[in-house]
Amino acid sequence: MRSRYGPYGGAFVPETLVPALEELEGTWRAARSDPVFRRELARYSRDLGGRPTPLYHAEHLSRRAGGAEIWLKREDLLHGGAHKFNNALGQGLLARRMGKLRLIAETGAGQHGVATAMIGAALGLQTEIYMGEVDMQRQRPNVLRMRLLGAEVHPVRSGQRTLKDAINAALRDWIAHVRTTHYLLGSAVGPHPFPSIVADFQSVIGQEILREARRRWGRPPDLAVACVGGGSNAIGTFHPLLRTRTELLGVEAGGPRGHPTGAASLARGRPGILHGTYSYVLQDRDGEIRDTASISAGLDYAGVGPEHAFLKDSGRARYMAVHDSDALRAFRWLSIDEGIIPALEPSHAIYAAVREARRRPASHRIVVTLSGRGDKDLEVAGRALGD
Amino acid sequence: MRSETDPALRSRRRAVVAYYMVDRVRNGRYATLTQAARDSGATHLELGFPFSDPIADGPILQEAADRALRHGTHWNDLRSAIRETSPILPTIVMSYANPLWTRGLARSFADLRDAGAGGVIVPDLSLEEAGPWRRTARCNGLDLILLAAPGSRLARIAALARASRGFLYLVSRYGTTGRGAISRPEDLAPLVRSAHAAAPDLPVFVGFGIRDRATALRAMGSGADGVIVASALESALARNPSTPTVARVLRPIASAVRAGGI
Repeated sequence: MRSRYGPYGGAFVPETLVPALEELEGTWRAARSDPVFRRELARYSRDLGGRPTPLYHAEHLSRRAGGAEIWLKREDLLHGGAHKFNNALGQGLLARRMGKLRLIAETGAGQHGVATAMIGAALGLQTEIYMGEVDMQRQRPNVLRMRLLGAEVHPVRSGQRTLKDAINAALRDWIAHVRTTHYLLGSAVGPHPFPSIVADFQSVIGQEILREARRRWGRPPDLAVACVGGGSNAIGTFHPLLRTRTELLGVEAGGPRGHPTGAASLARGRPGILHGTYSYVLQDRDGEIRDTASISAGLDYAGVGPEHAFLKDSGRARYMAVHDSDALRAFRWLSIDEGIIPALEPSHAIYAAVREARRRPASHRIVVTLSGRGDKDLEVAGRALGD
Repeated sequence: MRSETDPALRSRRRAVVAYYMVDRVRNGRYATLTQAARDSGATHLELGFPFSDPIADGPILQEAADRALRHGTHWNDLRSAIRETSPILPTIVMSYANPLWTRGLARSFADLRDAGAGGVIVPDLSLEEAGPWRRTARCNGLDLILLAAPGSRLARIAALARASRGFLYLVSRYGTTGRGAISRPEDLAPLVRSAHAAAPDLPVFVGFGIRDRATALRAMGSGADGVIVASALESALARNPSTPTVARVLRPIASAVRAGGI
């Protein structure tokens, strides 16, 4: 299993966590070649999750762009309304295999918290979620969903009270309860083996894209676009496409216009160590982590998965930042044009895809991973759009 | 192996490491506080450099770091603090990995050594990642002090003890720094024995949750060579940064460390 992506990755953690990370890696190595585990994963993915998800031609949005065809990978149709289900299911099964009956997780937008709460309920595991107080306010419907699903939600009041602080709190809980608890990390970040495991479980997105593209067009898409906070839906989209000629574009949150960083770690950060991994980080001269800003709680993070750092440096993927206001425009476009309300996170990717489509020929096909639906965002988006 | 932290450590003399956070509002007071720590029985000083995301720390040190950063504490404040404290007590720096890494390890370690520090503790540095850090520390004449924890296998404890310089920092329990119970002496004792067997000259100090005579005796009951007092001292200093505060926290612990042990 890869622990490094070029210079990036690794496991910068307190010694207390090392045995648990070793156990997790060992369990995953054994499980992924175990037909019983694979069958169970496939069964839950299909019957509980609703996989495979469709690839949908967004004809009206394509027409608005004028140029290449835009296709949507409909992860918003997955159980719980986001791609987060894929990883929560996989790690939930691993936790049960390790005999760890308590799950903890961080959540930003609440989608990973909801997915973990669902899996906790489905697998009979006790579930506790850490969520920044600011995020609890801006993603209130998801807090209610998590509680309804039987999870306990702990408000995090330290730091900026958003995703980064929720990860800190979850890591501290894990340090104290590591023998009985699995930390179900929701993004492709954190210490090894999390980035590898999350990429493995999310790669089903890219595998289905590739299979469907070959069936329909006889070739992979010309461009794949996905939003990047920690980068789990993007790495899941990109991984199976790495060996094809598909161009890869990751879209970070640029935040409000004029904000010095937004949450664009790859575009505006530099290499550093945060939450156990070496990757691009928004930080000041002394190495203190900077405050971030984004309208989307799920992208509002100062770090990014180490494999994205490597893909950026190697040039295999490109990354760009999209401002809040442009993400909101795309949010509205997709709603009006296609009757699909996207989450604010993939709205960043939609905007980038429309821009890309404009300057490409009609023969090009762009696949955007629609990583989640926007029900949770109605209040925030409504306010921002002046409704 | 020569130790930069304190040549006398090789004799495994009993030690009390006093910790507090560098904070710009304390500039000019470090010498007084450190002298008070020495007068109260401390044998070493550990200076914490604040980090925005201290995952190994409980609420007391989190708040101390937040305060220090709000006060505008920078790297240069750490350097001037070391210059004040190191003539009084052997001084070790505690910093999370990123502030040291981002400045460049060689530059960070040279800065610390030039200011007078003897060692550095990095709570989020695992043995697996420590290679370049150990080499750079050695080149710069600094001890890189590694941490061991209750869940570490005995073979791993031995490897940590062989790789650590100055002392081995044994975390007292599953948990973050600050309040709360520490492991029983009989649970820590095999870890201490394993470390001593692997590196007979390397002392083992127990930290996390050492706050009074009882916890110090409990820690020393494992056969450890000393204790580290962090949150208890930091929280007392946050309320009242005075010489009597230092004495009140450290004296009972220092006397327990002298009396206790096996």
